[in-house]
Amino acid sequence: MVTLTIDGKEVTVPQGTTILEAARSVDIRIPTLCYHDRLNPIGSCRMCVVEIEGYTHPMAACTTPVDDGIEVVTSSERLTRIRQDSLKLILVNHPLDCPVCDKGGECLLQDLTFEFGIDQLEYQAAKVERDSQYASPLIRYWPDRCIMCLRCVTACQEIKGIGAISIAGDGYGAQVVTVDADKCQSCGECLQVCPTGALTEDLSRYKGRTWLIERVPTTCTYCGCGCQLELNVQNDRIIAVTTKDGVGINKGSLCVKGRFGYEFVNSDERLTKPLIKRDGKFEEASWDEALDLVAEKFSAIKGEYGPGAIGGLTSARCTNEENYLFQKFMRAAIGTNNVDHCARL
Amino acid sequence: MAEILFSSWGGEVVDNRQKDGQDFEPVNTVDLPEYFRQDEAVKALMGWYGIVIRDPETDIVDLSRVYIQEVQNKSCGKCFLCRIGTRVMAETLERICNGQGKSEDLEILKRLADSIRESSKCNIGQSGPLPIIDALEHFADDFAAAVNAKKSVTPGTYHAKLTAPCMDACPIHLDIPNYVECIKEGRFAESLDIIREKLPLPGVVGRVCVRPCEEHCRRMNLDAPISIKFLKRFVADYELGKGKEPEFTITPSEKTGKVAIVGAGPSGATCAFHLRKMGHEVTVYERFNEPGGMSAMGIPDYRLPRPILREEVDRIERMGVTFNYGTTVGKDIKLSQLEAENDAVFIAIGAQMGTTMGVEGEEENYAGYISGVQYLLDINQGRDPYPEGKKVAVIGGGNVAIDCVRCSFRVAKDDVNLIYRRTKNEMPADDVEIHDAEEEKVNFHYLTHPVKILAENGKVVGLRCVKMELGEPDESGRRRPQPIEGSEFVIDCDIVVPAIGQTMDLSLLEGREDVKTTRWKTIVVDEVTKQSDQPKIFSGGDCETGPGALITACAGGRTAAFNIDKLINGQPLDYSEDDYFDKFFSKVKVFDPAEDIGFLGGRERKELKMLDPDTRKFSNAEVEQGFSINDAMAEADRCLRCYRVATVKV
Ligand SMILES: Cc1cc2nc3c(=O)[nH]c(=O)nc-3n(C[C@H](O)[C@H](O)[C@H](O)COP(=O)(O)OP(=O)(O)OC[C@H]3O[C@@H](n4cnc5c(N)ncnc54)[C@H](O)[C@@H]3O)c2cc1C
Ligand code: SF4
Ligand code: SF4
Ligand code: SF4
Ligand code: SF4
Ligand code: SF4
Ligand code: FES
Repeated sequence: MVTLTIDGKEVTVPQGTTILEAARSVDIRIPTLCYHDRLNPIGSCRMCVVEIEGYTHPMAACTTPVDDGIEVVTSSERLTRIRQDSLKLILVNHPLDCPVCDKGGECLLQDLTFEFGIDQLEYQAAKVERDSQYASPLIRYWPDRCIMCLRCVTACQEIKGIGAISIAGDGYGAQVVTVDADKCQSCGECLQVCPTGALTEDLSRYKGRTWLIERVPTTCTYCGCGCQLELNVQNDRIIAVTTKDGVGINKGSLCVKGRFGYEFVNSDERLTKPLIKRDGKFEEASWDEALDLVAEKFSAIKGEYGPGAIGGLTSARCTNEENYLFQKFMRAAIGTNNVDHCARL
Repeated sequence: MAEILFSSWGGEVVDNRQKDGQDFEPVNTVDLPEYFRQDEAVKALMGWYGIVIRDPETDIVDLSRVYIQEVQNKSCGKCFLCRIGTRVMAETLERICNGQGKSEDLEILKRLADSIRESSKCNIGQSGPLPIIDALEHFADDFAAAVNAKKSVTPGTYHAKLTAPCMDACPIHLDIPNYVECIKEGRFAESLDIIREKLPLPGVVGRVCVRPCEEHCRRMNLDAPISIKFLKRFVADYELGKGKEPEFTITPSEKTGKVAIVGAGPSGATCAFHLRKMGHEVTVYERFNEPGGMSAMGIPDYRLPRPILREEVDRIERMGVTFNYGTTVGKDIKLSQLEAENDAVFIAIGAQMGTTMGVEGEEENYAGYISGVQYLLDINQGRDPYPEGKKVAVIGGGNVAIDCVRCSFRVAKDDVNLIYRRTKNEMPADDVEIHDAEEEKVNFHYLTHPVKILAENGKVVGLRCVKMELGEPDESGRRRPQPIEGSEFVIDCDIVVPAIGQTMDLSLLEGREDVKTTRWKTIVVDEVTKQSDQPKIFSGGDCETGPGALITACAGGRTAAFNIDKLINGQPLDYSEDDYFDKFFSKVKVFDPAEDIGFLGGRERKELKMLDPDTRKFSNAEVEQGFSINDAMAEADRCLRCYRVATVKV
């Protein structure tokens, strides 16, 4: 264990803990922008710089491990100047299109700009034309909104182990680029960690404002993993799927189906009433009619050939409860053990 | 040296601008060369450590503009302040130089310079704005005048370069900060690509390099150097472990030709690799039946397992290089024939002969007297050079001597002695090697010198030695050992192995007086282009430099390849800007061991696991076990990324 002080408060943490983690453990807030709980510290934004007594150079709290006896100071005139400059530089040529930005209202950059009261920009640089191609057609990249925090690149590398995106170019011309679109699984991990509106879901652009959306927690129905997700609902329509970092077994990750495969819910082609085939054509019917018909046919088959002639297959997209009921129905009502499930194949 | 007008290099300000020539204060922090190249006098330097001005006509504002633009060009874009801030600074200075400066510009420059310097993620941003801060402070009038003048300045002529302490120290100038950063970010394949851009033998060099880079690693000023060598080994092993075949793209030069290479050691192999990458037809002639030169025949398997070496050379073969093993040039085929049949010949025959000590009994051909190189060669080929002998005395203090003693255990010699005439402090062998030999329980006889080999019936039976003491320092700065009278004693042994040095076997040059050699039997070539007096003959590696290090041999092979390519393409073999910068940085030191970095240090360097000394010494198994993925990434994370930019006005 290592003991240090942060803003005069004594903290004892295990060796290898970063200054940022140590500060958080005693509820001292250090501003951060690029840091993300699920990623190794990136160190791109420099918002978290702190001073350590006796050392001339400020250091990033997110990347610096603690040391015994150090005295950390998390705010000073110098640190505020640095943090303000970091934000001001990011805002050079940042399109202030917050009103039409899908992230407006829950954008970390907006929040910090507000917190540090950035109301004028003395810095200028010529704008650079940037390429907005992205690895996945389901995600849109807005290069002018991108702050180059590199959370996306890090998430694709560290969480997915894929490395479909990287950065290219030098200096101010550097930007996030696709290195291998074929490798991209459209999982949206990058989208999930992006603190700004630089990556947006391209299915739901301009469909809702963040503060009007209701987020309904539920379980993904696509496979047996049981990922936790939130349906983003506005006016009774699902307009996006998000997840909460650290929640459920998926802890904020989803796959392409869970994150982007929701449009069927509101699809016009979706069946909402049972159909019965009469004279070779499907016709709408009531539930009573349809269920009676099925019950009658099953009883007939069972009577003539015995229950062994009937088998049942269910789907991984059903819940555990549904699957339980199904096998119960097959065994108790039909009287057969011929029951199976697609996830077993 | 022409006098320096102003310097803030290394934080020490010397300002001679208002003084008469004879009152000039000297500058102690930097040795600024007078010339960049023959016809270009160095007028000023702006770089990571300050400003040095020699020529009073130097326009500091224009120099600042060019310098910070270069910093911006080299900014990697991975942190906010350097990426955007240096661009804002560059554009502001550009405007001032165009006569469109505003009064608030100078405040903006100062404020940004401070913020970028104090908080950037790596040394480009941390050191980049430093000389601008110096310039704004010490040349305030020039800046004020430039802002008020509203007319553009005349741009000067400049040379600029990105370097880093480790990178500059590495003979082949591997892009160390970059390949280390890739490891930190888990991009191992990319890291290996960066290494292989220059060096085709990462698994070999990653095991046995003498690592001048680590001796110049800036992290040392905080705690301990980065484990640069073993990180290289890690990425090489990672790929091997995955069984992945690297993809080498061959980009043919405009004109391609035929090149013969003599010697398949590290130097020849590296040369072959680069020539092949440029599309040339390459044939390597090697007298042994396997590649690697001293790295196969000298360096023992427990330090460098042969399959690693073999695989890395085989990959060069699979690129389309022909290897003719078992062919001695000078005997099986004449040098003149190679010269006639090829556009160029690269001689990389190494320093493969042991030198004698000049001790009584050496010329007698006693059984049990074996030169160090021969001793290792035999053992590396699986032979015990003298099975009868059990007690070994090795003479020498270098890595070869240590290899000889440690190898002795591995052919079941149980009494192993090392005799060195100075103390452990002066021993040229790598500290790690000495430590490992101590662990394996070699008997070290320091301050001891052999005087006579004792023999009976033509067989070695002992070595008479004399005790030494250290006297006055000699020209190498080491204290000269002197014998202590009457201190003679005998070491009981039946094998005597002199391992005090190697020399070249130049028999392939017999009758070729046109290819010059020195009195140390090295081949004379241009130090940069590696071309000899005979335009078609190039040479590099140990036979050019004398017995040296593997990475230097590789570097020689690489430069030779590029110059052979120029020769084939009818281009002049001029030195490049990089070559001149190499010379420049040999004076203007890139690494300052006294620099106070101002960061919190104390992060432990990751060490490799080692086999147990008591059992490993009887086996050829590799002693050092490579990094785990986690250890490699944690070690890479310690790197400070000490890139820095220098701009020279000529
Ligand atoms: C015991 C020992 C341990 C060492 N340990 C280290 C170490 O840990 N780290 C390090 O950096 N360096 C080490 N070195 C030095 C390093 O091995 C050499 O600097 C390096 O191998 C030189 O490479 P080269 O290609 O110039 O020559 P060599 O490796 O000597 O290769 C020359 C090749 O040319 C061949 N050849 C010679 N004459 C002819 C001919 N006429 N025709 C055809 N082929 C010919 C030889 O057979 C040989 O294969 C060690 C050296 C020795 C002897
Ligand atoms: S990314 Fe944030 S700051 Fe930028 S436009 Fe969108 S909401 Fe505004
Ligand atoms: S969608 Fe997934 S795989 Fe594609 S770039 Fe983003 S994180 Fe990588
Ligand atoms: S796209 Fe988003 S996550 Fe990626 S670098 Fe830009 S702002 Fe950061
Ligand atoms: S070069 Fe260094 S300081 Fe500059 S952007 Fe990259 S990490 Fe930051
Ligand atoms: S810390 Fe990294 S960049 Fe700096 S000298 Fe060492 S290896 Fe090179
Ligand atoms: S949060 Fe530490 S550098 Fe961004």
